[in-house]
Amino acid sequence: MLAVRGLRKSFGGRTVLDGFDLRVEPGEFVALLGPNGSGKSTALRCVVGLETPDGGEIDVSGNAAMVFQKIHLVGRRTALDNVCSGALGRLPLRRSLFCPHDVRDEAMRCLDRVGLADRALDRCARLSGGQQQRVAIARALCQRASVILADEPVSALDPQAAVQVMELLVDLAGEGMTVVAVLHQPELARNYAHRIVEMVAQ
Amino acid sequence: MTLAPSQSNTMRTVPRRRWPSAAVWVTVAVILAVHVLAWQATEFSPAALIAGWEGMADFLAESLPPDLSVLGKSLEAAVITLYIGLLGTTFSIPSALVLALLASRATTSAAWAQQAARAVLSFLRSVPDVVFALIFVTAVGLGPFAGVLALVFHNTGVMGKLWAEAMDESDRGPRDALRVTGASGPQIALHAVLPTVLPSLAGLLLYRLDVNVRSSLVLGLVGAGGIGFLINQSIKLFRFDEMVTHILVVLLLVVVVDQASALVRKRLGA
Repeated sequence: MLAVRGLRKSFGGRTVLDGFDLRVEPGEFVALLGPNGSGKSTALRCVVGLETPDGGEIDVSGNAAMVFQKIHLVGRRTALDNVCSGALGRLPLRRSLFCPHDVRDEAMRCLDRVGLADRALDRCARLSGGQQQRVAIARALCQRASVILADEPVSALDPQAAVQVMELLVDLAGEGMTVVAVLHQPELARNYAHRIVEMVAQ
Repeated sequence: MTLAPSQSNTMRTVPRRRWPSAAVWVTVAVILAVHVLAWQATEFSPAALIAGWEGMADFLAESLPPDLSVLGKSLEAAVITLYIGLLGTTFSIPSALVLALLASRATTSAAWAQQAARAVLSFLRSVPDVVFALIFVTAVGLGPFAGVLALVFHNTGVMGKLWAEAMDESDRGPRDALRVTGASGPQIALHAVLPTVLPSLAGLLLYRLDVNVRSSLVLGLVGAGGIGFLINQSIKLFRFDEMVTHILVVLLLVVVVDQASALVRKRLGA
């Protein structure tokens, strides 16, 4: 479950969010639509702590993970290594130098969940954009997230890859996860999301 | 799209050439003045060079042909020089890495830690390796060991700064992504920053190896062993023919190290 109440954020006097409310239940897939500057990304970044909100309440049950438009994997490392790094938050430093066996097992299951178990040992830079985005989702799963926030997850992908990623996100919501995705294509939102939230520029 | 001509005819006149402003003239005058002062302070005198050409001719006459009987000794010493440069570079890796991680804003968020690490790096960088060598010669005596120590200290400063800059320039995205997973600063450095910048760090390391081998020549001149020491001895004994042999070996050494490091760096793509 994700609940945001009265979220406010401004950058250097420019107000981006002014009392934003959002409530998403487990199993629900919500799409955020809106023009540039309407604070869609900022809202998600506040939830995961990449931005500090000026005010408002954020309530997340469980673990929130984020998926980015630019994917942000370490291209030189293997898909498996990148997925393992999702577990860093619950590993002490001394166990995180090399990925422990149990985490590798778990990461492998996450990769299998996104259909990329056979590419586990490929460097991410060698995967296609759609495959990379699915590895990023596997990383979120390895984080044992119950909430997935996706910031334009398919804007950089070709149409087929975009459909694959959207179907994956819908499936994850179907399994009980809370999914929020910023989208720029209204037709994708209508086809896949359970609910659409329109945001307006301040 | 077509561009319409300007409406008024007066706009058609060619703009007049603008002369440089007063600030430009003042800057030029200051630069000239500094060069005049430098000319005087360094006793720069082409006339002295022309007048003394005989001394140089004698020197060249004495130094040719090179005395190749010292070639074996010379090559041995060149290998020592190479070893000084190698150990000086390798042994500075741990200290340079720790200081670079502390100095880079990609891996350290505490401003005081960044400032402290940068201050240490600046200090090590600003003391020339020759000065470090002279200091260590007083502690461990003449010889290659003093040269290695000198290089370790100076190279930590230079390489640490270059590495910190490489880390600063690394993409912010993967760091943010790991921060969201709850990873700590050291974990982010280990799993996002270092894997990304490793090729650049390796390239810079090889570049420093190249520079350090050349520096260890100069260190030899102040008593830190290797082929520089032999050059110094030959000059003191007026054996210029030996010296030329040593210099030819140096040339060979520098070219080989330079080419080898360029080749490896190219393979690394850094």
